Parts: sequence; structure tokens; C-alpha cells
Amino acid sequence: MEAVIKVSRLIQAKGRRLVLNGIDFQVMPGECFGVFGTRGAGKTSLLHILAGIDGFRSGEVTVLGCNVRNNEGFKASLGLVTQARSLFLDLTAHENLDFFAALKNAPRSRIDPVSRSLALEEYLDAPAGSLDAGLFQRLSLACALLNAPRVLIADELIKDIDLNSRQILLNALGNFLSGGGSCVWGFSDIGSCHHMNRVGWLEEGLLNALSPEQAAHEWEHRLLQVETTGSGRDEDHA
Amino acid sequence: MKTMLRRYLAIMRHEVLTLWHDTGLRHIMLWASLLGLCLFLLVYRAQTITAIPTAVLDLDHSSTSRQLVEQIANTENLDLAASVNSFDDLKSLINAGRVIAGVVIPENYGRDLSLGHQTRILAIIDASNMIYATNASSAFLTISRTISAQAGISTLVASGVQFNDAQDAYQTVDFQEEPWFNPALNYAYFLVLALALNMWQQCCTLAACMTVAGETGRNSWLQIRATGISRWSFFSGKALVQLAAFFLMALPVFLLNFLVSKSPLQCGFPVMLLFTLTFALALQALGTMMSSLARNPVDASRLGMIIALPSFVLSGYTWPIEAMPHWLQSVVWVLPQTWFFQGFNYLAFKNPGWGFISRYFLALLIIAGICYGVAAIAVSQGNHGARGAES
Repeated sequence: MEAVIKVSRLIQAKGRRLVLNGIDFQVMPGECFGVFGTRGAGKTSLLHILAGIDGFRSGEVTVLGCNVRNNEGFKASLGLVTQARSLFLDLTAHENLDFFAALKNAPRSRIDPVSRSLALEEYLDAPAGSLDAGLFQRLSLACALLNAPRVLIADELIKDIDLNSRQILLNALGNFLSGGGSCVWGFSDIGSCHHMNRVGWLEEGLLNALSPEQAAHEWEHRLLQVETTGSGRDEDHA
Repeated sequence: MKTMLRRYLAIMRHEVLTLWHDTGLRHIMLWASLLGLCLFLLVYRAQTITAIPTAVLDLDHSSTSRQLVEQIANTENLDLAASVNSFDDLKSLINAGRVIAGVVIPENYGRDLSLGHQTRILAIIDASNMIYATNASSAFLTISRTISAQAGISTLVASGVQFNDAQDAYQTVDFQEEPWFNPALNYAYFLVLALALNMWQQCCTLAACMTVAGETGRNSWLQIRATGISRWSFFSGKALVQLAAFFLMALPVFLLNFLVSKSPLQCGFPVMLLFTLTFALALQALGTMMSSLARNPVDASRLGMIIALPSFVLSGYTWPIEAMPHWLQSVVWVLPQTWFFQGFNYLAFKNPGWGFISRYFLALLIIAGICYGVAAIAVSQGNHGARGAES
């Protein structure tokens, strides 16, 4: 089975700071690959590169067989949920779905089932900007799934939202993965790592692939270290 | 092809919805120019300046001087508002703004006139308001011509020349004024529509300044980028809707002005509308270019204001380009507003024919082409990425 995402020696800088310093990883079909890191670790930078939004300094990134530097063909099979509110806030939920369906060349008939799967029927006439965090994230995922993508890039999918929305989003994600889709999920709450197959721990520009259990254990270990020594790794970040 | 068309139509629909959902922008685009036109029509309802308040200081108190005062009172453009007894009284009336013009008839005016001696009448004009001043000056010139002619004829008659011969002698050179294109020197015809169109072009320029920066400055740009749709398709779809909106905004202004207010339109509706559409294209292009060069929507608005606000004055509509400094005369032709307002004046008042006006169309199209070209380069090379929370 061939990987849907291949990243090798990826380097990205913001100003003089190396955000990603030669990272390598692959994502297989049907896999949910988590990218874990604290604030400023470079998760969003990495996800934006994978989505073909931002360029990068060096390395090679292939998504669905397309080199993202010069081939945007993969975008037809891509879904994106960003951490920032990236839908059209002045349009209603339905207008957003309709617009994204057209942009992604998805049939209009997909709007109803996708809306249903994310329990959005009651909110279709509401302006996207007026939706609370959980509903907005459900609408974001609905827009991302309209074109039945093979790859889903999601940044902080369930952070700081209500439990009902969280469950709806996890169910929809589960259905997507069981249908053969792959997901790269950026997150900063270690408690979410159980929903993933593997976790890439992103720190100081480097990515270390772990199992969810290992990631959770590493987090616990770090916490314990901070509590016992009374200091963290601030000196490393300085 | 079908996919492209569907995307294109969706982008256009999205732009329509965006414009419509923005209540403030919608009201400004729908009503600003129209409201401006109505207000300007009210302001310039008189069409010409008449009844300029005038005071007379008659130091002669002769029947001849009383005749002159009567003549002043009967002049259409002057209104005899006060008769004063001293120069100081006249001065204080002008200072207080109660009269705009003052006439001082000297002592011995009647006697000097009957003896054929030169006499000097002082006409004082409050020049702090240029419009009043030029009109008062013009009215005094008319009176002065009449009085001079009458005095000359009387002198010739007194020296034994027959009245008819004397009259003929003074009419040897008949300097006839014949204002063309706007015979009544109607301010409303000249200014009202131009001022309303100035408001319109300012709204259009500022709206067009959001074409690129308004999208790339929002987080939704991330989604647009992730769909893989080309920037050209996206921005050209938006531009097309804006162009249509700009044109539709101008229509009621033209209809009200030409059909209801009956302002002159020598070139006919189709040519004027075509010219306005061409200008709207140039404005959209100019706004898009500035938008593509701006770092964010706020900068784009600032750039738009820098161009839109002074462009009407620079266009030479109210102050001739030929009277501007030489270096500025060349610079102002870079702006599409200059080509439009100059061409608009020709079309409305003269209809100079296609051979003449075609270069105005061409200039606007060239400006549009250059601006879109620069915008295309800036968008393709620039880092138009939305801000996005980094984590």
C-alpha cells in the first residue's frame, strides 16, 4: 500500500527561525496521523504546507502522488479544517456549503447528507459568523467533506468545543476514516491522541513519530518532571 | 469547461452575496451617489447666481447718480440691499457679510458726466467667495459698458452730433458674447452630475480596493487556496461582479439627471453609458491594482482614499489642467478620473464625435490593462496568505 502523504527533509523558516528543521513522515490510507505540539511548535505551518497553502524552504512533500510544489491536482481530493475560523462569516451556513460545493466541484446533492451527518440541518440559515465554536467546527468539517476527500487536514478539530459537537465531529471523522480516508490532525491537547493511529510529536522543528500510548506517556513524564523539579524546559526554548 | 463555468458563477454569486450582506457598503453603493445628486440638485437649484446683495454710497445726490442707483437696482444679478451714508458704513456691511458688493458714486458725478469729464465709480467686491465675486464683477462690467456708452453718446450729442450718428459711432464695434453649450452659464448643468459622479467614483475605487486585500486578509483565503482554484479565476470573477455593480450604481444617477432634471446630454444615452462602463472598468482595475499592492485591507483603503479623494480636483473639471504646473499637467493624465471627467464634459455638452472621443475610451482601456497587469504580477508573486493562528 502506498502512502498518501510523504514528507521528507522538510525545512520551513519564519524569518530567521527554523520552524520545521528537516522532518520526515508518511501517512497511509485510512490512517489518522496526529501532529502534536505546544503553541508555536509549527503544527499550523506544517498543515498549511500539506494543504498546499504555504510554500516551504526545502525538502519534498508529496500528497496523493502530487509534488505540492508544482502540482495542485491533489487539492481536488483534499478537505481542510483550520484552527482559525476560515469560512465566510458573512454568508449563511448553507451559502457556505453551496459555495464550497461549487469551488470543490462537488455535486449539490452532497450538501444534504453531509449536513445531516454533522447535525447541521437546523442551522443552515444562520450566518456562519453567528455559530458557536462547536457548530462552526461542524460546519467547517461539513465543507471539508463535501468533495468526499481522500485526505483531510484538520487543525485543532475538537479543541474548546461542547461535548455534543465533539462527539458529532468524532463520529463523522470515524466514518471518513473507515471509508478509507486519511487524516492529518494537528492538536495541542494530549487527551485527543487516543483518536489517532500515530502521533508525530513536533518540538523544536523536529518530528518524532510515536504511538498514541507513547505520546500520552511522554506527556505524563514531562508533566511529572515539571512538577518534581519545579521547572520545565524553558531554557531549551530560550 | 462546465466545471470552470460552475466555479466562476459560484465566485460571482459569492461576491454578490458578500456585497449584499455588507449592509454598510450596500447602502453606500446604492444610495450615496443618488443622495448626493439630489442634494446637489437642491443646492444648485437656482442654476445661476442672481440678486447679489449690494449697497450703494451715493456721495453726489444728483438726478444722474439716482439714475445710476436705479440702473443698479434693475440689474438682474444685483440686489440693492442697502443705501449707506458713509464709506465706513459700507465697509462694516461688507465685513458683516450683509452685502457682497458696494458701489461708491463720487461727488460731482452728475456734473462731470454732463461736462464730459472722466469720472470714477468705485465698485467694491467681497472676493472671499470666488463664485459671488466673479458674478458681481461680471454684473458691474455690464453696467459699466452701458453707462460708458450712454455717456459717450451724450458727449457727442452735446458737441452737435446727431443722436443716431452718435449711437452708430458707439456701436461700430459690437462685442457680442455668445456662450455656447451652456448658454445660461448654468451652474447646475456644469456641476451637479459631475459632483455626484465624483462621489460615485470614490465609492467604486474604495470598494475595488478590497478585491484582493479584502480576500487575502481574511482567514477564508486559506480555504480558497486549499481548493486549488486559480487566483485569476477567483479575482476576475469578483472583478466582473464589481464592474456590473459599479455600472448599475451609476444608472439611476444618470436617469435622474438626464430624464428628470433635464440636464443637457448631447452625445445620447448609449455613448455616455458605454463611456461610463469603460471608466468603471478602469476604476475597478485601479482599485484591484492598489489592493494587490497593499499589505492588508486597511492599507488598501488608505491607498484608495489617496487616489479617490483628490482625483476630481486633479481631473481638471473645476480648474483647467492648462492652469496647473507643467509637471502636474502630465501626471494628472495617469489617472482614469481625468480622462473620464474631461471626456464626460465633452460628451455631455458638445458631442465631439467618435474620432475625437475614441482616444478617451482607448486611454481608459489602456489604464485598465496596465492596472490589471500589475495586479496579476503582484498577486502571483506576492505573499498573499491569510493570517492564521500559529500553533
